[in-house]
Amino acid sequence: MTALIQVRDVSKAYPGGMLALNRVSLDIRKGEFVFIVGQSGAGKSTLIKLLYREEVPTEGRVIVAGKDLTRMRRLEVPFLRRRIGVVFQDFRLLADRTVAENVEFALRVTGFNGRDAKKAVAQVLSMVGLRSRHSAYPGELSGGEQQRVAIARSLVRNPDILIADEPTGNLDPDTSMEIFRLIERANRYGTTVVVATHARHIVDAMRKRVIELRRGTVVRDVRRGAYDD
Amino acid sequence: MRYTLVGYLVSETHKSIWRNRMSSFLSCGTTALALFLLGVAIVISLNLQYIFTDVQSQPEIQAYLKMETTDQEAVSALKACEAMNGVAEVRFVSKEEAFSELREMFQDKAAVLEGIENPLPASIRLTTFRAEDVPGVVEQLKVLPCVEDVIYQEEASRNLAVLGRVSQALSLGGTVIVGLVAITVIGNTTRMTIEARRHEIAIMKLVGATDGFVVGPFVLAGIVLGMFGGLLGAGLSIGLYNYLTTSLGSILPFIPILSLTRDTALNITGILVLTGVAVGTLGSALSLRRHLKV
Ligand SMILES: Nc1ncnc2c1ncn2[C@@H]1O[C@H](COP(=O)(O)OP(=O)(O)OP(=O)(O)O)[C@@H](O)[C@H]1O
Ligand SMILES: [Mg+2]
Repeated sequence: MTALIQVRDVSKAYPGGMLALNRVSLDIRKGEFVFIVGQSGAGKSTLIKLLYREEVPTEGRVIVAGKDLTRMRRLEVPFLRRRIGVVFQDFRLLADRTVAENVEFALRVTGFNGRDAKKAVAQVLSMVGLRSRHSAYPGELSGGEQQRVAIARSLVRNPDILIADEPTGNLDPDTSMEIFRLIERANRYGTTVVVATHARHIVDAMRKRVIELRRGTVVRDVRRGAYDD
Repeated sequence: MRYTLVGYLVSETHKSIWRNRMSSFLSCGTTALALFLLGVAIVISLNLQYIFTDVQSQPEIQAYLKMETTDQEAVSALKACEAMNGVAEVRFVSKEEAFSELREMFQDKAAVLEGIENPLPASIRLTTFRAEDVPGVVEQLKVLPCVEDVIYQEEASRNLAVLGRVSQALSLGGTVIVGLVAITVIGNTTRMTIEARRHEIAIMKLVGATDGFVVGPFVLAGIVLGMFGGLLGAGLSIGLYNYLTTSLGSILPFIPILSLTRDTALNITGILVLTGVAVGTLGSALSLRRHLKV
């Protein structure tokens, strides 16, 4: 079976000549849970951005669910993104909408009607344990709760892939562990997970596949790995 | 399963107009001003057509006689006219005839003339065989002692045409300039909305909203603002015109002024609203191209 995500000889140079990725190749199969680790500036965020086509590689190919993102037309991008949930360190919630509205937003702007959306929102909110907080505004929530909302938003469409770029960068260790347990739960339901992180203790505790980048190249790729070799 | 784009657009558009109500109001106002001027231009050109048909139905030369002219003087003037070179027909129009013609012209509005002492002078109307003869005849008429004033079609039409064209050009020029300002103001309103919603737009794109969903509310907001501007401009220009015609009509009943029928008013409104929609679409679309790169 071909991998869900195929990265082939990918290099990425940003304007200004900075080579953020240098001939990176990797495969991620459906259902995998993968940590991307490496020092600051190693190219983790760049690799992640290629996967949901926020950036395109300067060289090489990125194939997700059989689609070559380097050849994808602009019009197709929204439909790729609907199959990929993305979560960031800074949550990216809308401050003037409630928890439920933030999650519902992802459905409404992609064409779901109100009633279908409300049902899906209620389900995903109870999955992340925020059902009782559905009318709260992001400003009234703790960082961990806000990240749960962001995760709920990313999962509400039942995406094939969940991508997270330092999802616990702003959270304390215990809260971070809760967030990762939640992500692991989504993974058990079948969602493929790719997480870039600096959270050493979590990577060490969870023992998943670890891909390490150093100055834009893959220097380690191990099953049941740890943060360091 | 699919939520209608329409329902989504309506609620989002409403929100975006309301959140920026000051600049929305400004957009609407400038559009209204531009379209008001366009309305004025349209009304002027309608009146020009009306006046021209009116002028063309008049005899070629009219020599108005001084009020104090006696019958004898009139008869000799008439004789003098008949003797002039190139004159085809000569007809004397008495004060009473002129007044009853006026009454006819006013038809149902003739009531305004009741009780007014006849202000009209007697006149001699002439036609010439050839157009070239008109200036010569006019010169000869002007030196007759009892003739107060001579008007002839060519001059009257020329003056009207010049006046009409100048005022038309002014209002059309105003329409273009204020129209461009309106496009800029609507564009600016759109830009402000885009700035205020950058974060939201980024999330929309992240979760897979198509360009239609991202851009739709902005374009629709522009269209709505342009449409209201058009309605407002139509209301202003038609309202002002009707006010002027009714008040002018009673002060200066001789001036031929077209009164707008319901159909004409509706047509003008239609033109102005459509132009407003075009202005709104253009303003928001140009701004989106520049600031949203979609
Ligand atoms: N938009 C950009 N324009 C120019 N250079 C960039 C851009 N984004 C990233 N870079 C550069 O590319 C390199 C890789 O950056 P990237 O953000 O992928 O690193 P990272 O591994 O995510 O780091 P961190 O752990 O600090 O988030 C860095 O040297 C960075 O300065
Ligand atoms: Mg990063």
